[in-house]
Amino acid sequence: MKNVLQWNPPEGLQEAEVTYTVQYFIYGQKKWLNKSECRNIKRTYCDLSAETSDYEHQYYAKVKAVWGTNCSKWAETGRFYPFLETRIGPPEVVLTTDVKSISIVLTAPEKWRRNPEDSPVFIQQIYSNLKYNVTVYNTKSNRTWSQCVTNHTLVLTWLEPNTLYCVHVESFVPGPSRRAQPSEKQCVRTLKDQASEFKVK
Amino acid sequence: AGALAAPQNLSVHSTNLKHLLRWSPVVVPGGTVSYSVEYQGEYESLYASHIWIPSSRCSPAVGPECDVTDDITANVQYNLRVRATLGSQTSAWSTLEHPFHRNSTILTPPGLDVTKDGFHLVIELEDLGPQFEFLVFYWRRESGAKEQVKTVRRGGIPVHLETMEPGAPYCVKAQTFAKAIGRHSAFSQADCVEVQGEALPLAL
Amino acid sequence: GQEFRFGPCQVKGVMLRELQEAFWAVKDTVQAQDNITSVRLLQQEVLQNVSDAESCYLIYAMLKFYLNTVFKNYHNRTVEFRIMKSSSSLANNFIVIMSQLQPSQEDEMLSISESAHRRFLLFRGAFRQLDIEAALIKAFGELDILLAWMEKFYQ
Repeated sequence: MKNVLQWNPPEGLQEAEVTYTVQYFIYGQKKWLNKSECRNIKRTYCDLSAETSDYEHQYYAKVKAVWGTNCSKWAETGRFYPFLETRIGPPEVVLTTDVKSISIVLTAPEKWRRNPEDSPVFIQQIYSNLKYNVTVYNTKSNRTWSQCVTNHTLVLTWLEPNTLYCVHVESFVPGPSRRAQPSEKQCVRTLKDQASEFKVK
Repeated sequence: AGALAAPQNLSVHSTNLKHLLRWSPVVVPGGTVSYSVEYQGEYESLYASHIWIPSSRCSPAVGPECDVTDDITANVQYNLRVRATLGSQTSAWSTLEHPFHRNSTILTPPGLDVTKDGFHLVIELEDLGPQFEFLVFYWRRESGAKEQVKTVRRGGIPVHLETMEPGAPYCVKAQTFAKAIGRHSAFSQADCVEVQGEALPLAL
Repeated sequence: GQEFRFGPCQVKGVMLRELQEAFWAVKDTVQAQDNITSVRLLQQEVLQNVSDAESCYLIYAMLKFYLNTVFKNYHNRTVEFRIMKSSSSLANNFIVIMSQLQPSQEDEMLSISESAHRRFLLFRGAFRQLDIEAALIKAFGELDILLAWMEKFYQ
């Protein structure tokens, strides 16, 4: 639910001294509203997360360019519906290894917060059917397999000792356009099996 | 209606929710005949019977066959019709004798590949698209073993089913579940794998 | 499999994903035709905090309106193939849902059905204040709101 408006500079003016002004509109209400932090700015993006935080509303945004005494027409977005169109971020993934096991602890992605002090809202509270797809790659056997889970802890047991395993997790919500973003791949090595070491000696 | 003959013997062949409309080709020596396919759902026939919608993939179609899977998107009766075109000549419409309902689709057992990665039982099911889930049954082949069942939401990717213990084979069979029509296929052939026993650590 | 549970009303044989994808395919085209952005037919007062018991009455009234008024008239006005296809898919699935909805007619449910009816009247009232062309386009363009609300009852 971090919603950022982005645009490209006008044709042929990429290098010119151009500034931009942004406005936004809540569908069903009466007026276009100013975004004061995005008035006469040079950058080509504007964070509208605060203004679009009620995800059950729908929004429009528009931007115009000014250079010298010239002023462009407004360029306007389509109707933006955060509830359906937001991209679901990856969960936080913590891996802990043992000789033959890896424990995976997942923390659901959080909804964008206006202030860090605000209490967190987890995406699961908005989408109760949130699921996780855990993908595990065994670098020794070169095999990959995945598992769909809904809870936040998973222990992979009976793994091979002293072996590098790579894990990435994707949270997803069934629905047409909710794209998902997998977590960074994390690789951990299971511990050496002291017993078999002793046996070899 | 021109002098061109209308297509005959319309029929729908549907397997795993993939629906093919077929008809007898209209043969004109020296001519290349093309066809147009249109459909009408229960809504159109009840509320707007004059409305027929061109098929997504077959307006026009070259051969005597049309994949209407993307047109049949609800659990209602669908009327389907075809006509032939040759140059400026157009035949009359031929309409499917009995409306088609996707509930009648034939469901085949899914392709199932059972493997292991160390102690891990890993399967891969045939990718039949988002319309399907799979019910996977697995058990340890030993007396008194209980059958377990898991739902697998997607085919085409290796999925972890179970962590195996040595000493007995693990067997797996699966059936497709067509979510849209709430029907199952027959079971696939059962397939088994076994984990070799691990030598016990040397006692001190 | 998955189904809708609008309170006591249970609906099988509908893939919400198919409905959402049917609308999504034409969302930008249809919503771009709606120039009256200061009016939202499915205001929050219509769909917010709907109790389970109310939901069957409300969805019944909404789908009936969409079938009898919106799709019927919209079907006649659109020749754009993709919109016809999406509209057909949505309408035929709404028929499947309607055929399984049986809102209770018992007396003790009267106050609940009336509450749902008031919500529907809010929607229909806003629809009737617009010119019919604009109202049809707007109602069709707000199907993403209706489908998102229906998703809460899909399990």
